[in-house]
Amino acid sequence: MTELKTITLAAAALFGLTLLMPSQSVEAADAKEKSMKSRVVADQLDNPSGVAVRPKTGHVFFASRDGVHRLVPGKTGKVYPEITSYPTDVYGKGPKYNIGPLGVGFLGNDHLVVGDGSRPDGEELVRVYKISADPATQPVGEDSAEFTLGPIEQGEDSAKGEGNFYGVAVNKAGIFITANGDDTKGWILKAEVKNGKPQELKAAIATKVATGVDAPVAITNGENGEIVVGQMGEMNVPGDSLLTVYNAKSGELLSSYETGLSDIAGLAFSPKTGKLYAADFSWAKPEDGGLFELITDGKEVTVKKVMSLDKPTALAFDKRGRLYITVFGSAEEGSEENAGQLLIVPAGL
Amino acid sequence: MKSVSLQHFNLTPGKGSNGISTGKSPLVMIISFSMALSFISVKTLHAQVPLGLPELKESKENPSTPGKIELGKMLFFDKRLSTDNTISCASCHDPAKGYSNGEQFATGVDNQKGGRNSPTVINSAFHNFQFWDGRAATLEEQALGPIQNPIEMNMKMDLALERINGIPEYRKRFEEEFGEPASDETLAKALAAFERTLLSGDAPYDRFEAGDKTALSEAAQRGKDLFFGKANCSACHSGGNFTDNSFHNIGIGMDQEKPDEGRFAISKLGGDTGAFKTPTLREIARTAPYMHDGSLKTLKEVVEHYNKGGIANEYLDEEIFEMNLTEQEMNDLVTFLKEGLSSESYPLVEAPELPE
Repeated sequence: MTELKTITLAAAALFGLTLLMPSQSVEAADAKEKSMKSRVVADQLDNPSGVAVRPKTGHVFFASRDGVHRLVPGKTGKVYPEITSYPTDVYGKGPKYNIGPLGVGFLGNDHLVVGDGSRPDGEELVRVYKISADPATQPVGEDSAEFTLGPIEQGEDSAKGEGNFYGVAVNKAGIFITANGDDTKGWILKAEVKNGKPQELKAAIATKVATGVDAPVAITNGENGEIVVGQMGEMNVPGDSLLTVYNAKSGELLSSYETGLSDIAGLAFSPKTGKLYAADFSWAKPEDGGLFELITDGKEVTVKKVMSLDKPTALAFDKRGRLYITVFGSAEEGSEENAGQLLIVPAGL
Repeated sequence: MKSVSLQHFNLTPGKGSNGISTGKSPLVMIISFSMALSFISVKTLHAQVPLGLPELKESKENPSTPGKIELGKMLFFDKRLSTDNTISCASCHDPAKGYSNGEQFATGVDNQKGGRNSPTVINSAFHNFQFWDGRAATLEEQALGPIQNPIEMNMKMDLALERINGIPEYRKRFEEEFGEPASDETLAKALAAFERTLLSGDAPYDRFEAGDKTALSEAAQRGKDLFFGKANCSACHSGGNFTDNSFHNIGIGMDQEKPDEGRFAISKLGGDTGAFKTPTLREIARTAPYMHDGSLKTLKEVVEHYNKGGIANEYLDEEIFEMNLTEQEMNDLVTFLKEGLSSESYPLVEAPELPE
């Protein structure tokens, strides 16, 4: 059991799940972690923002502005386009980035859940695609999904309609999607799954109301059914990002940690060590962005920098404990090449 | 209220030290003093925040003490901190005017005027950034800026400190609180310690949310629902202090020939062009005129500005869009802002007697 889960349960038992607002500290990387190096496995990507590893085959699926791609790990490490023809939307407020599908996650072994960022708020969708065992000879269109969920239109739940479906987590309670189009509520959306079929997409957890901070983005599963969420906060305000934990069934906020990080965009637990890692995009100060380990102890969270990264957006471990990371990167001035990359960090985290 | 707030001890009309009234009966004074003791520890003082406000974190570098707060209050009202002895902090942050000053642009020494409206000091203890463009992170960093600003108080710090340390009572108080005469650092700390006591909460909105369903009129309740729903106000005016502590371009001034670039001047982020700090809405009825340039005279004008989707420009925040509110809905919103966020325990501090 991870430390995070330990404190969550302790909080539940002792305080009736009271909200924790602890202090935080940031430590530099230790010697071992300083030696951790990432390697580029795919480059010239157009703003990659989501990554997931297929459970049985280890194939790596990642989303970028122009669609969803599959990396077949191995000596050749070839990348195949799987799903294309998404529209393009713009994210951010200067700098601004072109985006398409944002987040990816697996429903079982054969279905890929894709969160949409390619449309205006109130029109965005969650697509669930049946994935073939081997790379497709021809990519499919974005409208070829087996299931389409949403949108969350303008209405009672959202004054402007929800959008920017960024993070995807799937567990026994259903499919969870973080959304940050509506800044009044900061919804986590949920679709229950019955007999393998996703049900209606609903606004489930109003994270801004619960935490007072904008924009849930990163999301991953805890071992005991809870969902662990990174609240990005304001893009132009450094240091305001939260690590939060919710009961997946009830939506109740179990704990909240002020991390001191700026914009947590990715979260993942190491399957080998149980350690929790976060990717900090750090919009206002990209030089501070990177991969961090988050260690919770009671009301405190310690943040240890593992490595610097250029605008990291998502994390996913494979079964062997290797970590895949998507980064936007920075194009050289005047260059028209895409600067995005898919990185791998060897097992050891 | 969660408990009696700190400012209640400083707000009592009168001239006595520690703000305890000299005009009240001895019994009242004893009660007041014993209440004060229940909230003031020997070495430090922790403000008990009014209902609805978040926890107030103690400044580690500048822990509050009653003496420091009292000293800061005197300095806040003291015009001798300006070059011609005409302007104090309270001139532009007038307690009777919501700690703003009622003018579009406040008037500094030699009748000079700046280009930005005086922001309220109310609840600035909770802000992560001070000034409209957030160029100061703390109240201590902020405090000396206006004193030295040529169009505000226009004072050289060495002259300001010479004046303060030349007043025996001030010198004595600084030595008691800081172990040394006034310096840049201790002057800023004293002012900041006082400003941290200027809290407003426990408003009708807070009481309504705490369960008193009679606390808001029907119109204010409708306005509250709009505020957190259709009118999208809470996208930025969120949390207990009704601010996200961030910066947004809402279009104000962007139709001018040379718009104020706002936060961009500090952050150099393109998205911050024309963006200004989200102000608290606590006590908003007292702080007209509105916006960073004081260009809107009434809250109705403010609501109308947002309802039309602000003023279009390249950097307009995505949370600003045409809302199609009806006249009734706009009036209800204004009612909520005025009625719901005005507290009976507003910290109306009176100027203390200043040492000669």
